[in-house]
Amino acid sequence: MRDGLTRRRVLAVGGALGAMAAGGLGLAAGLARHPAATGAELRSAVPLPPPYRVPLPLPEVLRPVATTGGTDRYELVQREATAEILPGVRTRLWTYGGTFPGPTIESRRGRPVTVTHRNELPVPTVVHLHGGRTPAESDGYPTDLVLPRGWGATGGHGDGHPDGGTGHHGGGMRDPRAVTSELTRAYTFPLDQRPTLLWYHDHRMDFTAPAIWRGLAGLHVVRDDAEDALGLPAGPRELPLMITDRAFAADGSLDYPSLDPALRTRPGVREPYLAGVLGDVILVNGAPWPVHEVDAARYRLRVLNASNARHYELAFVDEGDGRIREFQQVGSDQGLLAGPVTHSTLPLAPAERHDLVFDFSRVPVGTVVRLVNRLGSGRTRDVMAFRVTRRARDDSRVPRVLSTDLPDWRRADAVRVRDFSFRAGRMGADGGHGWLIGGRAFDPARTDVTVRLGDVELWRLVADVHHPVHLHLTGFRVLTRGGRDPLPHDAGLKDTVSLRPGESVELLTRWDGYRGRYLFHCHNAEHEDMGMMANLEVV
Amino acid sequence: MWAGAWRAAVTTHGVAVYGQPVFAGVYLSGDFDGLGMHATGADVVTSLCLVQLIVAVGVWVRLRRAWPFLVTLALAAAETVQYFAGTAGALWLHIPLGVFTVAAATLLFAAAWLRPLVRREAADA
Repeated sequence: MRDGLTRRRVLAVGGALGAMAAGGLGLAAGLARHPAATGAELRSAVPLPPPYRVPLPLPEVLRPVATTGGTDRYELVQREATAEILPGVRTRLWTYGGTFPGPTIESRRGRPVTVTHRNELPVPTVVHLHGGRTPAESDGYPTDLVLPRGWGATGGHGDGHPDGGTGHHGGGMRDPRAVTSELTRAYTFPLDQRPTLLWYHDHRMDFTAPAIWRGLAGLHVVRDDAEDALGLPAGPRELPLMITDRAFAADGSLDYPSLDPALRTRPGVREPYLAGVLGDVILVNGAPWPVHEVDAARYRLRVLNASNARHYELAFVDEGDGRIREFQQVGSDQGLLAGPVTHSTLPLAPAERHDLVFDFSRVPVGTVVRLVNRLGSGRTRDVMAFRVTRRARDDSRVPRVLSTDLPDWRRADAVRVRDFSFRAGRMGADGGHGWLIGGRAFDPARTDVTVRLGDVELWRLVADVHHPVHLHLTGFRVLTRGGRDPLPHDAGLKDTVSLRPGESVELLTRWDGYRGRYLFHCHNAEHEDMGMMANLEVV
Repeated sequence: MWAGAWRAAVTTHGVAVYGQPVFAGVYLSGDFDGLGMHATGADVVTSLCLVQLIVAVGVWVRLRRAWPFLVTLALAAAETVQYFAGTAGALWLHIPLGVFTVAAATLLFAAAWLRPLVRREAADA
């Protein structure tokens, strides 16, 4: 034995193990994505236009049909439409009111808005106002479907009972509490909440991701007098920017790897896209890599990431000298920050909103300032561009104090601590790949969490890969990220928090407003459709 | 005395290293406290590696055996990289390097207990 263990042999074995370890690490370095990304990218089959040619569209502001009785009433028809998103290419869309994005709804804090939606699409729909402090019956629970004409008769679901998510990977799920309606449904939003940028989108059980992909998303702004009085850039110098990624098939349609292209019975996407669907075309307000002409003045940019799975790290690059220009963040998901925060780059996960101010007077007239995504590669690095065209008067300002009404909950106020893991797993009767919260896939008939109205709770979330976690009804404070202080972009009141691989966050929230059945879920829309939602009952 | 200290240092260090994947598993199952355990464990492992390094210096000086020091130095380098890869969230590095570190600690444990450290005599050198 002793003879076998010569110095030379020990060195050889040790060297071989060292080489194996080094080789393994090299392989990991080569194979892994830098930076880490969750999802798989579709490649468009049509030629893509050069960037910064198409002007930035601004979604139309929807006009109310009535403003009497202290409520603004709106009507929207959900219908198919054809649009020219890429120059010379006609694309069929599912839309709110015929456009993508849908028309913007402008509202005032505390003044209720009722939107009556009429479903003329071939499938059931349900509208959720993301970030809205909304009673449960108007919150767009995924099985509270608005059925299209003839849905029950044609048997969209296998057994002809159109009562919601029956086809959860063959799970045969029932939701006895679902409230469905035929053709139309009126959603009432009290909007008793901080002014901010909300967005409305489809939230149909099992089919949210492809429905948003096809165009069912629009903006909803809440304002109040206090915010108006701040003097932030306004009017034509306030721009909503809804950023999405899409891919186009050879026939011009939006490409999406659905298992059931009609989106009627079988949910889910093809195996390679289980982690999320990414497109290779970046659209802002529905236009590919658009350009916008601006004055040499401050602009308020209200940015929403309405992509299904793509994360962005936004930066403004001065074309003149190639340098990254700083900007200010004045608001987050749930409204104004306490004071402005200066950034040079800013992460933006699906469903997150950032309220930014960029001062174009700090670059020479004639300069092009590009908004880029530092997490993108190739063409997905580009987002849009601003061309500074003229000198102009600017009366706007960014006050040092933006708001004083942010909640002052502290750790000690929490009456309960809850832990949730967000990770991959097996789900449904057939044990297919899915995404789980606390080890369980979504079941509308199961209450996962019961909270008491008025309670402050501490939630601790842990993720395996990227999971942008969204809580309905409430806003929250990010207390810690990865066991340390939160990052600069975690400031303010949030409703969606982006967990990176292996990361954890602690949130502090107060359950407030309304009782009833709500949701929390991952806002990677593919994860959301494949199990990563949970029920929350406010009692 | 130094042979005994070497075995003790390698053993305690090895036990601490074995705790790390356990805490990581607890954490990724959704137990937030697992992260704190994993972080504390990282501090303990790094400290014990330093102790082992000091003992290895003693082994080198007193017993005239250099390999414990060289192996521990390599392990300390790996654990330092591992520490920063973990706090930076570079999982592509942190996970494989963690597995390799556990394997190295295992080999070292086996070597320490199967191969007695005897003082190298002048004639041997």
